[in-house]
Amino acid sequence: MNRSNGGGSRIGQYIIPIIIIAVLFGLSFLTRTGTSMRPSYIVVLFVSILNYIVLAVSWNIFSGPSGYIALSTAAFFGLGIYVSALFGESLPLPVLMILAGAISFVIAAIIGVITLRLRGVYFTIFTFGLVLLLQYLILWYEVKFNNLRGRTVASVPYNTVFLSLLVLVGIVLLAAYFVRKSRFGMALSGIGECEDAAAHVGVNTTMVKVIAFAATSFAIGAAGAAKATTMIYIDPPIAFNVMMSFMPVLMVIFGGAGTFLGPIIGAIAFTILQEQLTTKWPKWYMIIFGTVMIISIVFLPKGLVGTIGEMKSMQKKIALLGITAGFMLIGFGFTQILEAAGVSIGGLVFPLLFGIAGFVIFANVFKRHKGKEAA
Amino acid sequence: MSKKSFLSLFLVFALILSLGAVSTVSVQAAESESGYTIDPDKTEILVGAVRSQTGVFAMFDQTAFGPCYRMWVDKVNADGGIYVEEYGKKLPIKLIVYDDTSDMNQMTQLYQKLILEDHVDFLLPPVSTAFLSAAVPIASQYGYLMIGAEGGSDTLKESLAKYPGFFSVLNYSETQIPAIVDLLLEQGMESAYIIYIQDTHGIEYSTAAEPAFKEAGIEIKAMTSVPADIADMTPIVTDAMNSGADVLIMFAYPQINYPAISIAKTLGYNPKMIIMGPGGSFESAKAALGGDAGVEGIIFEGAWNTKSSPEAAQFAKDLAEFNKDDPNFGMDWWGHIVYYASLEVLQQAIEGAGTLDNSVLAEYIKNNHFNVSMGEIWFENQEIAHECFLGDLGQWQNGYPEVVDADEDRTADPIVPKPEWAAE
Repeated sequence: MNRSNGGGSRIGQYIIPIIIIAVLFGLSFLTRTGTSMRPSYIVVLFVSILNYIVLAVSWNIFSGPSGYIALSTAAFFGLGIYVSALFGESLPLPVLMILAGAISFVIAAIIGVITLRLRGVYFTIFTFGLVLLLQYLILWYEVKFNNLRGRTVASVPYNTVFLSLLVLVGIVLLAAYFVRKSRFGMALSGIGECEDAAAHVGVNTTMVKVIAFAATSFAIGAAGAAKATTMIYIDPPIAFNVMMSFMPVLMVIFGGAGTFLGPIIGAIAFTILQEQLTTKWPKWYMIIFGTVMIISIVFLPKGLVGTIGEMKSMQKKIALLGITAGFMLIGFGFTQILEAAGVSIGGLVFPLLFGIAGFVIFANVFKRHKGKEAA
Repeated sequence: MSKKSFLSLFLVFALILSLGAVSTVSVQAAESESGYTIDPDKTEILVGAVRSQTGVFAMFDQTAFGPCYRMWVDKVNADGGIYVEEYGKKLPIKLIVYDDTSDMNQMTQLYQKLILEDHVDFLLPPVSTAFLSAAVPIASQYGYLMIGAEGGSDTLKESLAKYPGFFSVLNYSETQIPAIVDLLLEQGMESAYIIYIQDTHGIEYSTAAEPAFKEAGIEIKAMTSVPADIADMTPIVTDAMNSGADVLIMFAYPQINYPAISIAKTLGYNPKMIIMGPGGSFESAKAALGGDAGVEGIIFEGAWNTKSSPEAAQFAKDLAEFNKDDPNFGMDWWGHIVYYASLEVLQQAIEGAGTLDNSVLAEYIKNNHFNVSMGEIWFENQEIAHECFLGDLGQWQNGYPEVVDADEDRTADPIVPKPEWAAE
């Protein structure tokens, strides 16, 4: 999980942040496609996409370079949900998000100080255990002292949730970008490559890990508070859904761990694929989803972005992207033919699957070709 | 990048987004929600549902409401559709069902999809009380009717006034706990051991039972809560056995009830009465617990049977016939007839009011009586009136689900004390 080179000119450093701002600003106009009472469905779908982008990018900021595989996303996301459930009636959404983020930050910092001395699988298991611990602790408390199982969350208009998450995504993406360029990011990468060596050259490894873990938990908690307002009713198993720990990891692996764009691409692709498969291919959903994951891990261990990143030839990079786009177009055409024949299959399923297939096949063809050239 | 440039960038970013948000809000304020309109080109009634077809709640769609709504759509369309006066013709139903994978996020998003993208005319309810609690406000927000199915609770009922388009259909603790008390008193039971699941159902039933039992002079030996995913019920069943209570009551679901019964058989624990929560009324309980003999004498929340009325008998026959090729199907002697009645109510309301306008139909449902498979039913405070139910408690007797309420719904006298467990 190496960090890519962070060089470039002073002007070059501004290009990506400006693109991020421009894209997010452009997206904010999606709210005009509906009304506050009746948003368009694209806004609803984007709330899920933006939510997963926050989770995946946050996970990648800490776990990507450091190599500490945290499965605590569901824990802090769930805390955010409960903050909304408890205070949603009295506080506006931005305040709820900040409060949820602050609580997540403090708890993550405390837990980090205790557990980030653990390494490898011990840390991973502990973070997963944290999800279950919080779930059952809150369930026990609610049943014992409040005599209830679930809580209603005050609903907030989708457009407001969308804009709030858009701002959060902007902050998280800019943070991800600048952390990669900073000494702090270098320290995190150093920890991932050899923690003892990093400590030897003067990096306060525990401090760096705790700050990164807590800061990313802030964003996860804030995302939970925003998403809760669209869920309306929650209980501990719903709030602390363990899948929320695994999905961001899968998205990052698919897109490319340790890269800037990988988690974003993974979050977008997986959310759209999930939405399309569950609505059009419900019986095939998990089979197709599982197959995509297995193929990705076996043939693209560095993810989509990582695979392109390790190609040295710019021509090959362009060719691979072109081929992928071509396969997506074929998938789109195939969809149109089936739709014309009266078969409803979901507009983006085949373009996405064809695109992934084209990418996997030709990325490996290029890799073998390179191997033969070297031989 | 210097600290100053970094902060400047953030400020610019926040400013641009804020401007975008403000302009959006101002546009929204100028717009208004459009009301119901008649589409002259309409050829079908779009009915949408988000159901758990996979995941932990999938068994409910397979065995509870699922068989009912599938048969209803089939029967309606076989008859040419539902006559809608404002269209002057019968319109067939097109059913759109999305799988929420038993996930709340998916469920809420997919209801939005049904409403905002598919523009369905009607919504069917999701699986489970928790999901229904989230779906009802969404339906209400967009002016849709939502007639409940598997889910429902006292907590949800408290908010009925907020959701004028929501109708609760199953009988719950407020009627079933008094029915249990009446039966226990009638049969001379003096003490009970209560196991309840840490779920809305378990919490509400146990909460209602405590004062009701106390008032009736029935001693509660213990009230034990269990998590939904408890791995081993042996210690709790052993505790119940050692308590010496006359009655074992389980306000819990099949994943707890069935193993608890199996353990009771293994331990030779056979109290005078066993009352089982949801799942006890499923025909499939017999398969899980050793056939007719395996459930003999067990009392369950419910209930109705083919002796309740000729219409009920016909419904049971039709439902079994329609689902005969479905290996997951088994009759539910609590919910099935109620779920189907809710769909018949919707159909009769459309025919009676002559419109697909959900708000008009909500009023029509509140103010009219309906002749359905349950017999004549009507709603009081957005709930099916209690006297419309065909029973609150059932008991397996020779593999048949007798209604054993201590009132006129009874179809057979209860067998108390419960017979010894049959040898397996």
